[in-house]
Amino acid sequence: MTIHTPGRRLMHDVPLKFVQKRVSGGGGRSVNAGLSLTSMIDFLVVTVVFLLMTFSASGETPVSKGVNLPKAENTLDMIDAPIVAVSGSQVMVDGAPGGNTRAIEDAKRMQRIDDLFNILKSKRELWKTTHPGKEFPAVVVLQVDQDVQAIVVKSVFQTAAFAGYPNVSFMVNSIPKSVHAP
Amino acid sequence: MGGVNVDSGGKGGRRSLDSEINMIPMIDFLMVTIAFLLITAVWSHMARMNADAQVPGPPRPTEDIQNIPPEKQLHIEMRSTEKFVLIWKQSGTVISTIDVPRKDVISMEGATRVVRFPDLAAKVSSEWTTVGAHRDASDKKFDQAILHTDNETPYGAIIGVIDAVYQIHRPLQLGAKVDSVPAFNMTFSVN
Repeated sequence: MTIHTPGRRLMHDVPLKFVQKRVSGGGGRSVNAGLSLTSMIDFLVVTVVFLLMTFSASGETPVSKGVNLPKAENTLDMIDAPIVAVSGSQVMVDGAPGGNTRAIEDAKRMQRIDDLFNILKSKRELWKTTHPGKEFPAVVVLQVDQDVQAIVVKSVFQTAAFAGYPNVSFMVNSIPKSVHAP
Repeated sequence: MGGVNVDSGGKGGRRSLDSEINMIPMIDFLMVTIAFLLITAVWSHMARMNADAQVPGPPRPTEDIQNIPPEKQLHIEMRSTEKFVLIWKQSGTVISTIDVPRKDVISMEGATRVVRFPDLAAKVSSEWTTVGAHRDASDKKFDQAILHTDNETPYGAIIGVIDAVYQIHRPLQLGAKVDSVPAFNMTFSVN
């Protein structure tokens, strides 16, 4: 078949460059991109499974403002118990004011914190009223700033014990175990 | 959008076992679930460490006090910045006393200063291995460690000592299962 020179064409002056680009594969990438549905669903399902496994139904244990908790490796899971927070010189029981420790810091000797004692004692009596026949767990969780002096911790500890809570748990931030454990 | 197939060719008028899932509500559901779980996720890891107080318990008239053999207890004295003193006592009698040089290993975990006492943990571990009374997996009782501190010790250091003592683990048989549990019960002395 012989090759001829092209003759006159209709709309010869219209450049139609976008058609040329598309046909030749040149120019910029398309704004639209394809997404593999299978991979996307796999990713979503894996994310849902991971989040469900790490989900805590009990919610977050509130930490009082200004309390910088110490960190520890060998810890237990949190339990549902009254939380006594010591921040600065303020004592809070489940978020409500429960006395202060200024007198202990000034006198530098152990003292019973009367407000804390009364609140814990009434909580204990309330628990016994609402759970007749059950053994009282006698656990209180201490949420204490890491820079608080031992004399304050001892005073709070002793007050809690005298109010009927001899089993004390210290709240800490859990960190992974280091390799040099004995 | 796409669909999961699905060969819908049921035979003889019976309903097919395969069915189509509409992708749009399914992806919407997954997205909403992820959003809910992300919003309600707890990223801080709060935990606790046990310590009981040395206070008189309730009266137990049924227990015969005379027949309870006195237990050995490990007293950890933390009253000096130079050393710890480990004292094994049995019903008030000192069995042995060991000085452990105090070396605070301080590291920063985020903004929090973490104090560790690896030397103390190693010494308590070796002491427990030789003197501890409840080492057998079938023994349901635990050895008792009592921490004594001075009044100025910061709370972070107290937690460091309790953490060091709780590093020592022993096997405990519960039915057919053997768990690894802390070797000591910890008591925080207010004296």
